[in-house]
Amino acid sequence: MAEKITTDNQEYIIELNGLTKIYDGKTVVDHIDLKIKRGEFVTLLGPSGCGKTTTLRMIAGFEKPDDGTIRLEGKDIADLPPYKRPVNTVFQKYALFPHLNVYKNIAFGLKLKKVEVTKKTLTGKTVTKLVNMAYMPVEQKVIKKDGSEIVKTVPFCRSYQMMTVTTKKGVRKVKKVNMYKKFIDDKVRHALKIVGLSDYEDRDVNSLSGGQQQRVAIARAIVNEPQILLLDEPLGALDLKMRQEMQLELKDMHKKLGITFIYVTHDQEEALTMSDTIVVMKDGVIMQEGTPIEIYNEPQSAYVADFIGESNILDGVMPEDKKVVFAGAEFECVDTGFAPNEEVDVVVRPEDWVIKREGNGILNGEITGCMFRGVHYEMTCLAGGYELILHNTVEYKPGRKIGLYVDPENIQIMKKQHVTNRFNCDILSNTSLSILGAAYEFNPESLFDNCVYDAENDVVTIDGVQADLKGKSYVVSVDFDKIDLTDSEEEAPLAGNVESMIYKGKNYIVDIKTDDNSHIYADTEYLWDKGDRVGIAIDKNDFRLVKE
Amino acid sequence: MKKPASKFAGFTRKYAALPYGVFMAVFVVFPLIVLLLYSFCETADGSLSFQFTFDNFKKVFSEDNFSMLINSLLVGLYTTVICLLIGYPVAYLLANKNYNRSSVVVMLFMLPMWVNFLLRTLATKAMLEFFGISMGMGTVVFGMVYNFLPFMILPIYTTIQKIDYSLIEGAADLGASARVTFWKVTVPLSLPGVFSGITMVFTPTITTFAISKMLSNSKISLIGDYIDQQVKHLNYNVASAISFVIIIIVGISMIILNKYDKESTNQGGGLW
Repeated sequence: MAEKITTDNQEYIIELNGLTKIYDGKTVVDHIDLKIKRGEFVTLLGPSGCGKTTTLRMIAGFEKPDDGTIRLEGKDIADLPPYKRPVNTVFQKYALFPHLNVYKNIAFGLKLKKVEVTKKTLTGKTVTKLVNMAYMPVEQKVIKKDGSEIVKTVPFCRSYQMMTVTTKKGVRKVKKVNMYKKFIDDKVRHALKIVGLSDYEDRDVNSLSGGQQQRVAIARAIVNEPQILLLDEPLGALDLKMRQEMQLELKDMHKKLGITFIYVTHDQEEALTMSDTIVVMKDGVIMQEGTPIEIYNEPQSAYVADFIGESNILDGVMPEDKKVVFAGAEFECVDTGFAPNEEVDVVVRPEDWVIKREGNGILNGEITGCMFRGVHYEMTCLAGGYELILHNTVEYKPGRKIGLYVDPENIQIMKKQHVTNRFNCDILSNTSLSILGAAYEFNPESLFDNCVYDAENDVVTIDGVQADLKGKSYVVSVDFDKIDLTDSEEEAPLAGNVESMIYKGKNYIVDIKTDDNSHIYADTEYLWDKGDRVGIAIDKNDFRLVKE
Repeated sequence: MKKPASKFAGFTRKYAALPYGVFMAVFVVFPLIVLLLYSFCETADGSLSFQFTFDNFKKVFSEDNFSMLINSLLVGLYTTVICLLIGYPVAYLLANKNYNRSSVVVMLFMLPMWVNFLLRTLATKAMLEFFGISMGMGTVVFGMVYNFLPFMILPIYTTIQKIDYSLIEGAADLGASARVTFWKVTVPLSLPGVFSGITMVFTPTITTFAISKMLSNSKISLIGDYIDQQVKHLNYNVASAISFVIIIIVGISMIILNKYDKESTNQGGGLW
């Protein structure tokens, strides 16, 4: 790849290109591309294990990427150790130094700060060196005994000025003040003021509450004026009330400081509240990137719609542009560009349902449950055989028959990511095949057209010609609803763990991850739990040949 | 009906501590009182006459003995310093996952403790003689270090291992290089272990007797040897007096250490 100094897009402070991290053969972060604008508040959002923290740790320098680049201000920093990167991290568990008090914790980074100093060597050459700020040469006025004033160059830590200070007892007097100490003092006090902990300097960090410790951790990071502040689930350990308060304060701090924040969380509400941009991640891949409003209103996949906020996700078909059929009724929508009769995922947010008199809407239904949720009532409604969630400020009692309408703009239509399970299979014998390393029975008559299987002689005849299937490889598909999940893994040739489920109003689409990290999707009426171990059974008649 | 265990026949949990209390009284408190009595008494013909006297202490601090006391303290000091200089880096490397991932290596460092201490010292002596090294202060300190090094490594290893790794990452994040992180985070947080180690090495070093005797061909006599000698000559009073002096010395060093220990940190905690 050509070395391109990115002078043209200086608006991006950091760029991740094809960033990849592999742990023990498992790809945790999979070729991520991300550009972050200067001064932005970006949130990496996703469930645990989606690679968001690993991405953050690679930016901080704690993990070395296996592939890809991280460019900060156009410069690749992938090989820079953490202590040389102009970024600071707020850790989930604060990581405050227990042997230092609040003041010393915050001053820790400042005291290590290095500055470039240009010096003339004896040979007359000028060299630029990085030195600790304490030893940075500064000019110092010195009054000699005879009253004359001279200017000397001294290290910063030994420069002083006469200043009027107010002592603890409230007495004002002129004192010799060390300028280096004052510099650190001012910065620490300013940082403490920003996080709202003035007068906590001398406190032992262990005596502070969780929220206060978190504030110290933030102060300790921002006092260094990093170009990017990384926050790794910083509010995860706080209780709800405190968390909401800190959300607003963080947002406020971001505005005041003007530095770029990269925030990692699994809490979608937190992400929606604080971010300028949300990056939704799953399995080490970015699913969607956009403003909170875009992510909420126009999710690009059922996964994102399900993860962000509450939603009704239903299977639909688009007979033509601007028309979609779901829940047994045809709705108008604003989406175009789909193939005729293409199967799609339809998302309607619960608050977007308009409740009308029965017969006046597009869809008729019956309320089956009603719960008070503070500002609104959350109701479940059975319509066209689908269970829908509605939010409304008016209460409708269970049993009430209603009509439902949705504004065309509020119907979000998404291309289906997976329509069917596809497998590479090896035929083991005339009636058994192997997919993902597991042997399944199959019926050749249902897999191949014009095929006759003579079970007595174990002979397969395709198009009137006897065929030897053994050893051949094909691509086969199995529809979601043809996958049977069994409670015990012994009952089926293949087993896996339930990764996620999406409720489709009538049925669940279950994402099962097998032991070799392949995904199988099943359409089932039963609710499974995340992490459940299930067996994957497929009827011998349900394999279909995929013609390339 | 089940009765609550604690109310069973009037037996409350505090009685469970009774055997321990009796044990402490018989084997710790009573001997200390006897020790104190002996050190302030005079013995005539092996029988005890309860006559108060400072003579025993005068003997302890007589010129000959005083140099022996100083010698003991010096051996203790040398041994502790050398143990710390060797033990800290070893403990640090053992506790660092980058260098050591198995507890087997830790075990290997502790293994010599399982061998009988007299046997170990005799073997050391044989080895030193084989190499033709002349016995003296150097060999005594060598033997001491060899014997007590595990007591320095173990507590330091435990505290370093307990240091939260996010603190190391936090320091690196704030601009500290590995060297700065070591001096500003790891060392201060491992001080409780260092203090435990010092206690566990210094205290036994100044009082052991066999090592100094064997490894110096009886040239160097330490407090332990002196007590041994006095007891053999049935001078229980002088032996008690010097034991009492040692208790005072150890007590003072404990107080000083504890003071530093509390000042340094309250995380981790040593072996005890």
